[in-house]
Amino acid sequence: MSSHREAPEISKDPVADSTDVYAFVSPDRPDTVTLIANYIPLQAPDGGPNFYEFGDDVLYEIHISNGQKAEADITYQFEFHTRIRNKFSFLYNTGPITDIHSGTWNRPQFYSLTRVEKGRSKVLAKNLECPPVNVGPRSTPNYAALAAQAVHTIDGGRKVFAGQRADAFHVDLGSVFDLGALRPVNHLHLISMPDTTGVNSVQGFNVHTLALQVPKRDLTRDGNLPTAVGSGKSVVGVWATASRRKSQIWDARTGRYVGHGPWKQVSRLGNPLFNEVLVPMAEKDLWNARPPSKDARFAKYVDHPELAKLLPALYPGVFPNLAAYSKARADLNAILLTGIPAGVVPGFQNFTGPVASDMLRLNMAIPPSANENPLGLVAGDAAGFPNGRRLGDDVVTIELRAVAGLTLPLVDTSFTPDGAASAIADGTTNTNAGITGTFPYLGLPGGGYQTVPGTTAAS
Amino acid sequence: MSDTSRRKFLAAAGAGTAATAVVTLSGGAAQAATTRTKGAATEPVVAYVQDPKAGVLYLMVGEREVIVEDHDLVARILNAAGGR
Repeated sequence: MSSHREAPEISKDPVADSTDVYAFVSPDRPDTVTLIANYIPLQAPDGGPNFYEFGDDVLYEIHISNGQKAEADITYQFEFHTRIRNKFSFLYNTGPITDIHSGTWNRPQFYSLTRVEKGRSKVLAKNLECPPVNVGPRSTPNYAALAAQAVHTIDGGRKVFAGQRADAFHVDLGSVFDLGALRPVNHLHLISMPDTTGVNSVQGFNVHTLALQVPKRDLTRDGNLPTAVGSGKSVVGVWATASRRKSQIWDARTGRYVGHGPWKQVSRLGNPLFNEVLVPMAEKDLWNARPPSKDARFAKYVDHPELAKLLPALYPGVFPNLAAYSKARADLNAILLTGIPAGVVPGFQNFTGPVASDMLRLNMAIPPSANENPLGLVAGDAAGFPNGRRLGDDVVTIELRAVAGLTLPLVDTSFTPDGAASAIADGTTNTNAGITGTFPYLGLPGGGYQTVPGTTAAS
Repeated sequence: MSDTSRRKFLAAAGAGTAATAVVTLSGGAAQAATTRTKGAATEPVVAYVQDPKAGVLYLMVGEREVIVEDHDLVARILNAAGGR
C-alpha cells in the first residue's frame, strides 16, 4: 500500500501509522495549497464500540521544506485530547449526534494546531473539534453536516480539518502481495493463472485525516506568492510524521501507558510507496525514525530497486530491456530523491536541491488542471504526481510503470522501454467514496451500519 | 552524586529549549544523604541505562531528556538493579 502497515514496527501501532500524504494547489482556491496526511489504516467502519480516533499520546506533524536543504523549515503540529462526558456509560454515543457539540457524543476529541518556523512556535488554534466517526443513521443521522461543522477557518486564511474520512487510495493488495501478481496479466506471471480484473482492497475502509489549507505565501521561504515555474522558490518538499514519547511506562493504577521524555519520530511518509516498496524490510523501521535529509543511505535502493529486478523474473520475457539495464536509475532518483530538475520535462521542474531526500515535491506555481489526468506528469498533466499528489492520482500505476522503465528515457535516451512498461497496472480503478469539490475533499467516511463487509475465501 | 555535581546537572536539565541536554559530571564519592535542591524535578522521571558498560544515564522528564555521564551514579543504579 502507499504506506499502510508498510514497516514491521509501525504496523503494530496503527494510531501513529501514516498511510498517505497529499499536497496540491487547491482546485477551488488556487491561491492556496492543501496538505493532507492520513493515519490509522484500513478502518472497518463498524469497528465499535471503541471507534477509531487520533492518539492523544501522538504528535502528528506535516513538514515543509522550502530552503533547498531537505530540512523542516515549517512544521504544522496537531495534538489531540479526548474527553469522556458520561463516565457511567460504555457507549460511544448515548443518543443521536446531531451536532459536534452534542452532549450525546460521549467521547469527543479536540486538537490544537501549532505552526513552527525557525524554531519559533505559534499556536494557531486550540480546542478545535473533530467530528465523530460515522457510526450509522441512528447515531450520526446527518454525517455530512457533522463533518462540515468540523471544518474550521482560522486566522491567516487557513482552513483545517481533523477526523475520519474515506480512504482515497486504491490498490489490489491481495494480488500484489501474492508474489507480485497483477490480475489483468495473470497469465504472464511465472505462476500462471487466468486473467481477471483488479480488486480495490481499500474500498470501503476509512482513515483519519489531517487536512490543512494554507495560502501559498505561508509556505514560501520569502513569503511571496510563487508564480515562476522555473524558480526554486516555487517548490516545496512535503512530508508527514508521527512521534511518540521516548519512554512509555505502564501505569497499572490507571491501566494506561504514560509517556515520558521527548517526542521521537516513529512514522514518516513523503512519496507514496517509498518505504513500502523500495526500502528493504530490515531497514524499514529505521527509515521511519529518520528525517528526509538523512536519506542518502537509502539512495542505493532507489538507484537499483529490487522491484525492477523482480518484474523480469516474475514475468518471463515481458521486460527484456529492463532486465538488461544495469545502470543506476537516475530517473527514479530524480523523481523521488531530488525532484526533477529543469530541462528534463519541458516547462516543468520541482527540484529541491541536491540533498537526496524522500519528500513529496510540489511546484506551487503550476495551476490546478481543469481536467485532471490520474496519471499526472507522465501523462502531460503537470499539476499531478509527482508534482505533489492529488487525491485522484493513480500513484500505483505511475510508480509501477516508472519502475518498469517508462520514465527512464527522460534521463537516458539510449534506453527503450519494454512495451509492457506503458501498459502494466494492477487493474484497479478508483471505486472509493467520491472526492468532494471542497475542503477537505476526501469522501465522507463509510458508516458502520451502512457498510457491508467483504467476502472471505480461503481457496 | 555530590551536591556540586547535582547542581550542575539540574542547571543543565532546566536550561535551553532543546529536548535533550548532555551533562558531564565531575566524579565524587556518593554521599549518604543527598538533599533535593531548588530546581529538582517535580514530575515523574524515567531513568534508562542503555549500555551497562558505559557510565551514561538517560533521564526522561516531561518532554525533555537529560543525558548524564556519571559512572558512579550508573554503577549505583546497576548495583541496585542487581539487588545489591
